Amino acid sequence: MSVSNDGNSSPRSQLASRCFEDLLDSIIVDVASECHRIARLGLDRNLEEEEEELRLSVQARVADPSSSSEANSKNVVDIFGQTHPAIADEIFECMNCGRPIVAGRFAPHLEKCMGKGRKARKVTRSSTIARTRHSRGSPVSVYAPYSNATNSNRAPNGTTGGSGEEYADYTYGVP
Amino acid sequence: MRSSINRPPTPDANEEPEKEPTLQEIINIKLIESGEKEKLMELLRERLIECGWRDEMKAICRAYARKKGRNNVTVDDLVHVVTPKGRASVPDSVKAELLQRIRSFLTSAAI
Repeated sequence: MSVSNDGNSSPRSQLASRCFEDLLDSIIVDVASECHRIARLGLDRNLEEEEEELRLSVQARVADPSSSSEANSKNVVDIFGQTHPAIADEIFECMNCGRPIVAGRFAPHLEKCMGKGRKARKVTRSSTIARTRHSRGSPVSVYAPYSNATNSNRAPNGTTGGSGEEYADYTYGVP
Repeated sequence: MRSSINRPPTPDANEEPEKEPTLQEIINIKLIESGEKEKLMELLRERLIECGWRDEMKAICRAYARKKGRNNVTVDDLVHVVTPKGRASVPDSVKAELLQRIRSFLTSAAI
């Protein structure tokens, strides 16, 4: 039999090409059908999200026509359609001292609790030395009263040993 | 004048003259019967997914659906949108591989 691979003009190659195109068309119809299904059933989150965003932005604009969101924080509607009170009012436990704290007052509480403030420093000095000497290498503790930027970056790494032992000594041993 | 006695038989509704199946049809039947068509489809699908062709086509469909409004698209629309780009963007290696297999099938089927 003669070789069939003599370019596209030989009848066998033509037949093969037609078969290939046939297969390709079937697959194209498959893809089109699947995309059609996704579009009509709203399964594509992005398509839906765009419509949602359009609707919500119109809604938010209607709900708050007078002022900008910063000026009138009580009545602003966020992207999920929720409103928030001016001061966060959820209560939870401070992980440092264990007291129940109002969320909106947490930052000032932490200042005192962890000894960042000027007054609080004096109170916590002795107790932090005692605490850190007890719990060497505890992953949580850097009760350094001088809130140095480097402190807060190193603390989560769980530096063992010389983490907060002598708070005045800032040469932390790198593990 | 006597009417011809060699009247051709009245064409029966059930007995329509069968067309000669074209070569293409014969091949198609052989492909399906031997199970080779299914294998070729699977192979082509797999290759097209691997090379990202399918994702491209889906992106084109998505963009079209977004433009037209997702409840206004028909399968027909999408097929017409995808077909020209789809045919043109099949990688050469994939096409060559499939053509090779088809040709060897044709050889083995003695066509």
